[in-house]
Amino acid sequence: METVGSDIILSIKDVSKSFPGVHALDKVSIDFRRGVVHGIVGENGAGKSTLMKILSGVYQKDSGSVVFDGRSIEHTTPYESMQRGLAIIYQELNLVNTMSVGENVFLGRFKEMKGMRGTHANARKLLDSIGCKVSTTKLISELSVSTKQMVEIAKALSFKSKLIIMDEPSSSLTAEEMAELVKIIHQLKAQGLSIIYISHKLDEIFEFCDIVSVMRDGRVIDTKPKSEFTRNELITKMVGRTIENEYPPRPRSVGETLMEVRSINTHKLHDISFTLKKGEILGFVGLVGAGRTEIVRALFGADKVRGHRVLINGKSVAIRNPREAKDAGLGFIPEDRKLQGLVLPFSVESNISMASVANFSRFGFIRKSLERGIGARQVQALSIKTPSTKVPVVNLSGGNQQKCIVGRWLEISPSIFIMDEPTRGIDVGAKYEIYVLMRKIVEEGGAIILISSELPEVLNMSNRVLTIFEGRITGEFEPESTPVDTIMSAALGLRGGAA
Amino acid sequence: MKESNPVLRAVQVLFRDYLVLLMIAVLVAVTAIIEPKFMSPLNLVNIMRQFGPLMMVSLGMTFVIIGGFIDLSVAGIINLVAVVTISLIQPIGQVPALLTGLGIGAACGLLNSAVILSSGALTQAEALFLTFGMSTVFSATALLYSHGSTMHFWDIKTSKSIFETIGAGTLGPVSVSFVIFLAVLFLLWVFQTKTTEGRAISLTGGNKTAARLSGIGISRAIVVIYTICGLMTGLGAIVLFSRITTAAPVIGAGYETNAILSVVVGGTTLKGGKGSVLRTVMGVLLVVLMSNCLNLLGVSTYLQVAVKGAILVLAIWLDNRKQV
Repeated sequence: METVGSDIILSIKDVSKSFPGVHALDKVSIDFRRGVVHGIVGENGAGKSTLMKILSGVYQKDSGSVVFDGRSIEHTTPYESMQRGLAIIYQELNLVNTMSVGENVFLGRFKEMKGMRGTHANARKLLDSIGCKVSTTKLISELSVSTKQMVEIAKALSFKSKLIIMDEPSSSLTAEEMAELVKIIHQLKAQGLSIIYISHKLDEIFEFCDIVSVMRDGRVIDTKPKSEFTRNELITKMVGRTIENEYPPRPRSVGETLMEVRSINTHKLHDISFTLKKGEILGFVGLVGAGRTEIVRALFGADKVRGHRVLINGKSVAIRNPREAKDAGLGFIPEDRKLQGLVLPFSVESNISMASVANFSRFGFIRKSLERGIGARQVQALSIKTPSTKVPVVNLSGGNQQKCIVGRWLEISPSIFIMDEPTRGIDVGAKYEIYVLMRKIVEEGGAIILISSELPEVLNMSNRVLTIFEGRITGEFEPESTPVDTIMSAALGLRGGAA
Repeated sequence: MKESNPVLRAVQVLFRDYLVLLMIAVLVAVTAIIEPKFMSPLNLVNIMRQFGPLMMVSLGMTFVIIGGFIDLSVAGIINLVAVVTISLIQPIGQVPALLTGLGIGAACGLLNSAVILSSGALTQAEALFLTFGMSTVFSATALLYSHGSTMHFWDIKTSKSIFETIGAGTLGPVSVSFVIFLAVLFLLWVFQTKTTEGRAISLTGGNKTAARLSGIGISRAIVVIYTICGLMTGLGAIVLFSRITTAAPVIGAGYETNAILSVVVGGTTLKGGKGSVLRTVMGVLLVVLMSNCLNLLGVSTYLQVAVKGAILVLAIWLDNRKQV
C-alpha cells in the first residue's frame, strides 16, 4: 500500500485490462478527490465502462492498483464494493420492476431494517434527504426513468456510500428531470460525497463537474479542473483530432428517378408510395413506432408484404425476400446492430464477406484468397480499427462494428442503400466518418434511405425528407429550406398531408 | 498475468479446446491398464465396427446443430429405413433397395425441414419438439410397415452381398464400414469448410436474422441441414442392420441422444454457428470408447446411462463457460 493523501477517496494507478485482441485499458491512472464532482468524458470504446466495471468488481483488472478510502483493493465483487461505500448507478438501472420503491432501496436487507415497516420508514428518510416525494409503496414499474434514478441514488446512500459513480445518467432524461438530477448532485456534494460523472454530453460536464478527465482508446489523455478546459480542447482530446463540423456538407448529386415504390399496405402501413432519386439521401422522419422501420423492411423483403409494386429504373422488380432485394441492388443496415446485423462470434472478415459470399465462389466453393482480400480491403478503406481481420467482431467497438456492416454491403456496390439508425450508439468521430461515407455513396451514383431518431442527423444529411405518422406519409419536405417545426408538426400528425 | 508464457497458454488452449482428445487418451490408458483385453485386436476391430452407425448419424447431426437447430427424429428414421430396406432386398434387388433406403432417409429429413419452415418454427426449442413428433411418426410407420416383426438376413433368399460386405467385410487391415466412414467424412468436411453453402449454414447458426438480412438463403440452409442429417441417418441405419444382420422396427432407439451427446462432447456448440465434423469424430470416439470400457469393466447398463447423461451436462456446462 502506498501513502494516499486523506483528501483522495479513490486512487487508480496503472490499471490495465485487455480482452482477446483488444487493449481496453492501458495503464490508466486517475486520482479522485473527496467532495468533488469528477467528470469522465470519452467516446464509446474509450474504456470508461470497462474502468467502472473493474471498480465495481464485474471485471478483474490485469495489473495496476486501486486504493479506495485508504485501502488497497485487489479482488472485489459488486456487493463488496457497495458495502465499502462505492456505489455505481448504471445506465440500465438495476431495480426490480415488480417490487416497491422501499423494497428496492433495501433489497435483501429487510432483516436489518427490522421488517417491512422499518424498510419503508428508512427508505422514506433517504428519499426525503434528496427531495424525492415518491411513495415508498409504489411499484418501480410505475415510475418514470428519472424517479427510478432517484431510487437508485437512495439505495446508494443507504449503503453509506462515500463515492457514487453515475454512468451516463442523462441519456433518458428530459430537461426538467435533468435539472432535478443536477440539484441532487449539488446536494450530495454538499454532504461531502464524491461523484464520478460519466458522460459524453459536454454541456453537462461544463455545467457541474469540478474536475474532468478525458479518456480515449483505453488511456487517460488529460485530467484537470474544468475551468482550464475549453470546449474545443475537450472535443479535440476526446476524438484525437479536430472536428470543425458535426456534419459534412449536404451532398448535391440528386439525379433522375431511380426507384418508385407504390402502395405498400399492411395492418400498420397505409398506402405508402414514394420515389427515390439517383444520388439522393431520402430521410424518414417520425416517432419511434410510426412505421419507418416497417416501410424499409417491407421494401427489403424482410417482412412478408404483398400487393405493392417496386420499380427500379422504370422496371418492375419482385422483392419477396432479402436475397431478392440484394439481387435487385439493395443494401440494408438494420436498426439493431448486434441482433440483426452481425454474427458476433464470427470474425471481422466473415462478417464483411457475408453479403458477397456467393460472388467470390467458383462452383459453390469459397475462394479464400478473394475473401481475405475483401476483408483487408474494407478494413483499410473504412479504417476499421481491429488488430486483425480474424478477431471476432464482438471485440470491436460499436462504430467499428457498424463499419463492418457498411463494408459488407459496399462490397456488392448496392445502388440503393437503406440505413436504419446507422449511427445509433456510436461515438462522434465514427459518426462523422459514417456521414462522409454516406456522402461518398451518393456522389458515386447510389441512393440512400436514411432513418434516424436523431432529428439533426436526418435534417442535416438528407436532400429530402418524408414525415411518417401512424403508418402514413404525412408530408414531403426539403429540410434545407423548411423550418424544423413545420417538419416536426407533420411528423407528429398535426397537419394535413403535403405530398 | 497479462501475457502469460506461451507454453502455459498452449496448455490452456489444449485443455479448453481439445479436452476431448485428452479424455480419450486417459480413457484408453486407464482401460488398457485395468483390462488388458481392451487392446486385443479383436476388441479394437469390434470398436471400429461399433462406431460406424453412430458416427454416420452424428456427422449428419453436426450440420443440424451448426445450423442452430436440432433433430430428435433420427431414431425414427433409423427404424423406418432399416425395416423398409431389408424388406426390399429380395423383391427389388440389393442395389435398388440400398438406394431406396438412402432416399427414404433423405426424404424424412426433407420432410422435417418442410414441417419446420412451413410452421415458421425458427427456434431450436420448437425444432426439438417438432422433430420429436416426427420421430414418433417415422417409428409408427416402421411398426405399421413391418407389423412389428423383426426381419433377419437368413430370411432373404436372394443375394445380399453388398450388405454383408458393409457389415462384415474388410479391406486389408480395416473394415469396409471404416473405409465408408473415411470417404464420407472427407466429403462432409469439404462441404462444411470449403463451400458457400457450408458457410451459409454456419452463418445461419451464428445469427439467423443477420444472415437472412444479408441475403443469405436461410430456408435453403435449413432444408440442406435436415436433408443431410436424414441421408446420413439412412446410411447409419444401413450400416447398423448390415452389422447385426437383423432389422427390428425399434433398433434406432437411443440414437438421438447418443448422436447429440457425441456432437456436443466433440465441441460443436449447441448455440449454433461454430463446430466441425472433425470434432464430432472425436466425440463419437469418446462415447463409443467409454461404452466399451464400461462394458469391459462390468459396469451396469443403468449406471452407464447415468454417466452419459452426466457427461452431456458437463459438456454443455463447459461450453457455456468458454464464452467470454
